[in-house]
Amino acid sequence: MKLIRLILLLLVLSIAVFWLVSLSPIDPVQAYIGADVMRVGPEQRQAIAEYWGLNDPPAERYIRWLSAVLHGDLGTSMIYRAPAAEVIAEKFTHSLALMAAAWLLTGVFGFLLGILAALYHNRWPDRLITWYCYTIASTPTFWIGLLLLVVFAVWLGWFPIGLSVPAGRLAAEVSLLDRIHHMILPALTLSLIGLAPIAMHTREKLLDVFASDYITYARARGEKGFSLVLRHGLRNIALPAVTLQFTSFGELFGGAVLAEQVFSYPGLGQAAVQSGLRGDIPLLVGIVLCSAVFVACGNMIADLLYRFIDPRMRRGEGAG
Amino acid sequence: MKKLIHISIALILFTFVLLSGCASHPGEAERERGRAEDELILAIGTEPEGGFDPTLGWGRYGSPLFQSTLLKRDHEMRITYDLAADYSLSDDGRLWTVRLREDAKFSDGRPVTAEDVVFTFETAATNGSTIDLSNLKQVRAKGSYEVEFELHEPQSTFITLLISLGIVPKHAYGPNYAGQPIGSGPYQLVQWDRGQQLIVEVNPEYYGEKPFFRRLTFLFLQEDAALAAARAGEVDIAAIPPVYTRTSVPGMKIVDIQTVDNRGIMFPYVPSGRVTEEGYPIGNDVTSDLAIRRAVSVAIDREALVDGILEGYGTPAYTINDQLPWWNPETVFPDGDIEEAKRILAEAGWIDEDGDGIAEREGVRASFTLLYPSNDRTRQSLALTVADMVKPAGIEIIVEGKSWDELKKRMHADAVMFGWGSHDPIEMYYVYSSRYQGVDYFNPGYYSNETVDRYMEQALRAVSEEEAHEYWRQAQWDGETGVSFHGDAAWAWLVNIDHVYLVHEKLDIGRQGIHPHGHGWPITDNIASWRWAE
Repeated sequence: MKLIRLILLLLVLSIAVFWLVSLSPIDPVQAYIGADVMRVGPEQRQAIAEYWGLNDPPAERYIRWLSAVLHGDLGTSMIYRAPAAEVIAEKFTHSLALMAAAWLLTGVFGFLLGILAALYHNRWPDRLITWYCYTIASTPTFWIGLLLLVVFAVWLGWFPIGLSVPAGRLAAEVSLLDRIHHMILPALTLSLIGLAPIAMHTREKLLDVFASDYITYARARGEKGFSLVLRHGLRNIALPAVTLQFTSFGELFGGAVLAEQVFSYPGLGQAAVQSGLRGDIPLLVGIVLCSAVFVACGNMIADLLYRFIDPRMRRGEGAG
Repeated sequence: MKKLIHISIALILFTFVLLSGCASHPGEAERERGRAEDELILAIGTEPEGGFDPTLGWGRYGSPLFQSTLLKRDHEMRITYDLAADYSLSDDGRLWTVRLREDAKFSDGRPVTAEDVVFTFETAATNGSTIDLSNLKQVRAKGSYEVEFELHEPQSTFITLLISLGIVPKHAYGPNYAGQPIGSGPYQLVQWDRGQQLIVEVNPEYYGEKPFFRRLTFLFLQEDAALAAARAGEVDIAAIPPVYTRTSVPGMKIVDIQTVDNRGIMFPYVPSGRVTEEGYPIGNDVTSDLAIRRAVSVAIDREALVDGILEGYGTPAYTINDQLPWWNPETVFPDGDIEEAKRILAEAGWIDEDGDGIAEREGVRASFTLLYPSNDRTRQSLALTVADMVKPAGIEIIVEGKSWDELKKRMHADAVMFGWGSHDPIEMYYVYSSRYQGVDYFNPGYYSNETVDRYMEQALRAVSEEEAHEYWRQAQWDGETGVSFHGDAAWAWLVNIDHVYLVHEKLDIGRQGIHPHGHGWPITDNIASWRWAE
């Protein structure tokens, strides 16, 4: 059922992208030629348009594209002159590592900060964390990225200014540590931004829990501090955190686009921007579909985890 | 409770120790090159995403690096030999014959032959690339080391293709060539991390002068990232926009290179009234008047534009091809002259009678719109400043920023801030020929002048370079007419924008020629002569 819904969604999305691009005033031939205007005569423009099939009506192009996709071919990217699927797979592996790292950091630290804030409710650690979360929630990703770049890469020289591998080093000589070293700043940027909502929701939920009867009872028995949270709170506050964590796949994607731009990190984000600006439909549609699947996966995992965390949902499934 | 705090503090400390342990780059204070003597790291421009296949357009600016070309230009724009040992052109201007040197080899050890040249041109002509070979009728090998090019029509500018198209090996060419190029150029590709960097090393089979630097790494960074990299000591050369020269970077010098990367105002040349096939309006009743065009051109203070907008990194522009071999130096004129502008206007009947500061004639105000691409800050500044400069002369320019797609619809009826600049005189033909009226971006103003057309046709049909240059010069100004200020003043050229680089203070990048439009790769044209200065 979920699968059918996903397929329908993808179909609608691809039609929408095709339709929007055909409405956009971007001239793909011009985008393809770019700065080369002076070298390309009109006959040559015609040849380029024909080579890429740009003169056909959008509907015809869409049907041609769709039948190719059903045969497992996403088309050829105009910018990279390579199969779109190949380009996306390559870029996606870079982005995935970055997003995974950021996502883990976000989850762990967001959750911990949220608990900390609730434990110290209305005292200085709580005020500090709340202030931080409010500030960061209204800060654009790229700005945080630039700040980290200036401080840690340019002034202190602790980290490289960008890229995912050391400059001038051959692939065989690049160690895992090198890769991690290059990933820290962009991952940090993403997680600094992302942890704010998780921390705030966890804090609210935990405060609710603290106000409940069973906590009062537990306190009366002498339990307190972190062990109290561990024994009686964790399951209750995990749900909103997990929901947010997995539904944040979409935001993670958007943030990664900007972080990659700042840190010259070769991920899907940069490819998405380029394909949009230059009217590279096969690549653009490919990336849109890919991200839709990615976000849908996040939601599905969250659904499955609910059942694991909250036994009531497992029973609900049996009844329904 | 306390435990938790201790754990968090320990965690934070641990992270810091880990991070500082990773630190391998010195800060600004102690600037040391962390690489071998014969290695360079450059951040000079954008990535050629399509790869390194000359038949798809790679290497059209600067040398193709991995491949070599038949002919080359030196820093004074003279034509010299590369793969060719000799070339000639038939009297009717339609048959080019090129004899190849016989000692050239590809990096895989196989010789470069006429077959490869034929294959390269045939491939480039058919694979939907940005290389315009529509005038090439046939290319054929005569023996192993001689190639004949037959053209449909004479075209003296065909030589630019012999200069810019890198030769690919027929035996090693395939669908993956763009990612793993093999060629006879000074360097060979070692590794290409898409979206990040390109690592190249000297080609041991190269027949020419061996470059000093064994390994080059090109980083693909945006301009601000390139500046950050230069500040952090991670690169030896970084391409930067002129505004970034305001703060100095320790250990690096600023190198600016003269260009024909120009900006200028295109005027609609014909009166309004017609529309294009797509229904876009053609013509403008104000700019179609010669007096208006000349008054605008003479009122502009070009030196002030260079100093104020380009931080001094540029030169005044008088034509589309300043300083190139086919340039006519007589096109230069004294500018920034408001009185002269007023005189020109008054003589043509443009007088401010209602006292609003703007001249008018027969009920038409001397006012027109100037469009620029809204994402380009340099063009925006130029447009706004020009509007200020011509106002005292009694001309009103309304400045509007638009997208290129919007510009395309309005450029036949409104003035536009364009940029050109090429090492190929065919560009002048595209921009000014009446054959290209309203064709793409070439001659959007519908300029036409029979005499100019005739000179340019003669230039194309010329069988020697010098003869062609003479006709190009006459098309600019022959003493009576021409496209430049003294003649039709069809465009008001403003500035040539220098290409600015931050270069390691000890690095000598040799003698650079005049760069074409497009910042970045042209700097590698003479890479074989780069050295460390003593």
